[in-house]
Amino acid sequence: MTAAAADPDEIPGRVLVVDDTPFNRQLLARLLRGLGHEPVEAANGREALDRLRDPDAAPIDVILLDIVMPEMDGYETLAALAADPVLRQLPVIVISGVDELDSVVRCLEMGAADYLPKTVDPAILKARITSSLARKRLHDAERDAVERQAATNELLAIMSRSVFDRDVVLSAIVEAAVRLCRADYGVAYLLRGDAFEVAASAGGNAELDAFERDHPIRPGRETLVGRVALIGTPLQVEDVLGDAEYARTEGTKVGGYRTLLGVPIEHDGIVEGVLALTRNAVQPFGPGERALAVGFAEQAAIGIANAGLLETIERQRSQLARFLSPQVADLVSSPEGEALLAGHRREITALFCDLRNFTVFSETAEPEEVLGFLRRYHATVGALVVEHEGTLEHFAGDGIMIFFNDPAPQEDHAARAARLAVAIRERFVDISEEWRRRGHVLQVGIGLATGYATMGRIGFEGRYDYGGVGNAIILASRLSSEAAAGEILVAQRTHAAIDGQVRTVPAGERKLKGFSRPMPVFSVDPVGGDAAESGNALAEQAS
Amino acid sequence: MTEPAIDQAAFDRLVEMTGGELEFVDELVDTYLEDGAQIVEQLRDAAARGSIAELVRPVHSLKSSSLNVGALRLGEQCRSLEEAARNGAVPQAAEWAERIASGFDDARRELLADRERRAPSR
Repeated sequence: MTAAAADPDEIPGRVLVVDDTPFNRQLLARLLRGLGHEPVEAANGREALDRLRDPDAAPIDVILLDIVMPEMDGYETLAALAADPVLRQLPVIVISGVDELDSVVRCLEMGAADYLPKTVDPAILKARITSSLARKRLHDAERDAVERQAATNELLAIMSRSVFDRDVVLSAIVEAAVRLCRADYGVAYLLRGDAFEVAASAGGNAELDAFERDHPIRPGRETLVGRVALIGTPLQVEDVLGDAEYARTEGTKVGGYRTLLGVPIEHDGIVEGVLALTRNAVQPFGPGERALAVGFAEQAAIGIANAGLLETIERQRSQLARFLSPQVADLVSSPEGEALLAGHRREITALFCDLRNFTVFSETAEPEEVLGFLRRYHATVGALVVEHEGTLEHFAGDGIMIFFNDPAPQEDHAARAARLAVAIRERFVDISEEWRRRGHVLQVGIGLATGYATMGRIGFEGRYDYGGVGNAIILASRLSSEAAAGEILVAQRTHAAIDGQVRTVPAGERKLKGFSRPMPVFSVDPVGGDAAESGNALAEQAS
Repeated sequence: MTEPAIDQAAFDRLVEMTGGELEFVDELVDTYLEDGAQIVEQLRDAAARGSIAELVRPVHSLKSSSLNVGALRLGEQCRSLEEAARNGAVPQAAEWAERIASGFDDARRELLADRERRAPSR
């Protein structure tokens, strides 16, 4: 038998060999190297702890610990490790002679993971290290998952508290991205005009922040952010000093960064910003960290969309007819109204409906015609909303947003929304026919989605409105754009709530703007066949 | 001398473990001899001062490296001394120390002789 060669199945680890006998250390180090691991030596427990606590030294995966040592013996070392909240997680393999089994038992009781006979056997060494490394990796993965979950929760809390403040949301995202992707510095750049400017940063000093703020980045090969803007996909530069095209050398000097990762922040398929993370050592971001960064960029895009939605509402309110639903009117005068208006999270079902071909219609028809049509459309839908006890958020030209279960709680909010959708479609058949005779093709498309949203008073002094911000609202709006003429598309959660009450058919998986994964979509009572009949039945049921 | 100080099978096992790299084996043997010489001195000192407790750690260390290098007889001697020292009962500690010193000398001679024999072939 020869020394085991590096096994491809073996995950290499950094092993701290703690033994006062130089011969043993040397032999173990040699064998570990032969197994593909990286040995680090310490002559006693004190040296070992110093090495383990050195913030600049590469982290250790497993400790091989001798028991009888000067300065600090194995027991003292185990006790010190157990008392350290970070180091206590490290697997310790005690090195012991066959005549020292009492000591082994004591060490195992003190938290050692395993033991290794002192008369070295490479096969046993390999097996013990492999199993300890596997345990360590599992533990690390668990810790990372818990950490990520906690950060995601924190992020969601911030996003729901500060939905209207884009910069607060972006700051929270960049801060979490730096922490969880183990970066030294992070920046969220947003496109303003033709250059990307800093919207939020984390981990840097004042000088670096000032440099980044004063030097907007244009799309181009000479910077990472510029490249991401050009290509629209995540990119990594493992070492800026080894990248001939990279020309932001002044930034490199100020920041001291070597490894860069950039991820596009996309909205409606357009790169609106870039999330950039840097490390001051040449240490490429791993696949898990890159995936995490992509997730953060998606959160950033949603945060921006939420804030954008709010701006849109603000803008449109002054231009378009408004309608205060009886629910909101009641609410404003109720004692608990103030609390609700202050903003709260609630599960809602959002209904978004808008018109196919409206842009063409509004460009080709006379303005009076367009207004006349809108008045008729709004009046029709408005009456149906009141009838179905929905909360009308806004009319925005051809787009109408309605939600259920807020402010008044409605147990069957998803089903109510579905019935309203069917009723709108029914009623629109007549309107559509009327306008078809005048030469205009106008059809309605409806999207429904259920989920949590932040609801409350939106606006500023003297110009308040009741509204909501959240993924369900964005999703409903996306589904309504996705819907064909006369189609009612329903998100999965809504479908689960109305299944058995409203007839639906699967409508495949759709890739929707702003959502990373394709999602299953259902269509309510597709037009054709007995659709009209069952639609009437539902409308009757609802009234 | 009756039995050799170095058990050939145990030494061969060490060579095997290192992948037959004799240069590294030589390095290991050097480490063993340097460290061993110091330990022998520590044992003599402790014995001379009658400090039984101070025998434990050095003899423990010499035990494990001796067993790994193939000096099995010396390793067993160390084991006996370690056990006695742990129990605090080592009559004639100085004699014990000399017995270990002489065992170590035997092991050293054989290890170096073995190296000499191998030398021309390398």
